[in-house]
Amino acid sequence: MNEKYISQENKLNETLKKLVIARIEASMSPMLKLSIGSDGSLTKEQMINHVRDGDNIGRRIIQTHLNFVKAQATGHLIAALNTVQ
Amino acid sequence: MKKGLIITLPQSDDVTEYLTVFSRPIINECKRKAVKFHELKREDVNKKEFERLLKSYDYNFIILNGHGNKDYVTGHQGEKIIIKGENNSLLNKKITYARSCWAAAGLGNCYSKDKRGCFIGYNIPFMFLMDTTRATNPIKDKIAEIFFKTSNCVPIGIIKGQTAEHANENSKKAMLKGIKKALIKRDKDSQAIAEILWNNYSAQVLLGNKNAIM
Repeated sequence: MNEKYISQENKLNETLKKLVIARIEASMSPMLKLSIGSDGSLTKEQMINHVRDGDNIGRRIIQTHLNFVKAQATGHLIAALNTVQ
Repeated sequence: MKKGLIITLPQSDDVTEYLTVFSRPIINECKRKAVKFHELKREDVNKKEFERLLKSYDYNFIILNGHGNKDYVTGHQGEKIIIKGENNSLLNKKITYARSCWAAAGLGNCYSKDKRGCFIGYNIPFMFLMDTTRATNPIKDKIAEIFFKTSNCVPIGIIKGQTAEHANENSKKAMLKGIKKALIKRDKDSQAIAEILWNNYSAQVLLGNKNAIM
């Protein structure tokens, strides 16, 4: 049971990583860098590597993407955007 | 307490370089509104000098540019200048805007019951995108400008006489407008710009007296 749960979670994590890497590849030009405070500024390639490695920076990048996707899916983003002209 | 502003301007890496360069409009607004201000620059953004200035000027608005964590905000070369549980009482009864990662999640909570002052900051990392072709001249970086123009609405609004709540809301509205503009534009970087603006929009919080004015 526990092993099955861990295996499912690993699978989900790998799927998430693939999703986020695909989004980074599609949505960022190579001349851009992302600044995440004391973690420094990261090129597109460095962002993808951190996501692939699943380290703290990678997890933060994944979280940022997920927050946006969730906001789109739940309607929070549209609701917020409708409050401004 | 006197009406005036102290702003930290560290410049020890590309992130703090951008924070400092894009703080120029805040200084310009002080000059326009004849608001007294003191800039703490480069090596001077250290704990000793920061504490000395806060005590000697007793200004009511503090702007912190720097790296951060839940328990502290740093100055030049990563020196911790304000630390939760150590010298955070220096910010009591003042308006503080911390353009720094995580600070609102820990340090900021020290001011949530402050009846006079308040703390505006970010409870997850403040992020921005930069155009590497403009790295030698950040002020011309139109991509980074999107993130700083919207966050600058907080200090500039407060200098103009807005309440902390009004300035915070205006800043967040500017972020939403930026997201809308990016998504309508739909160019190669639009999605990334919208996502990072949404991160900052979600993270920016006001703690303490929402009616605080300068």
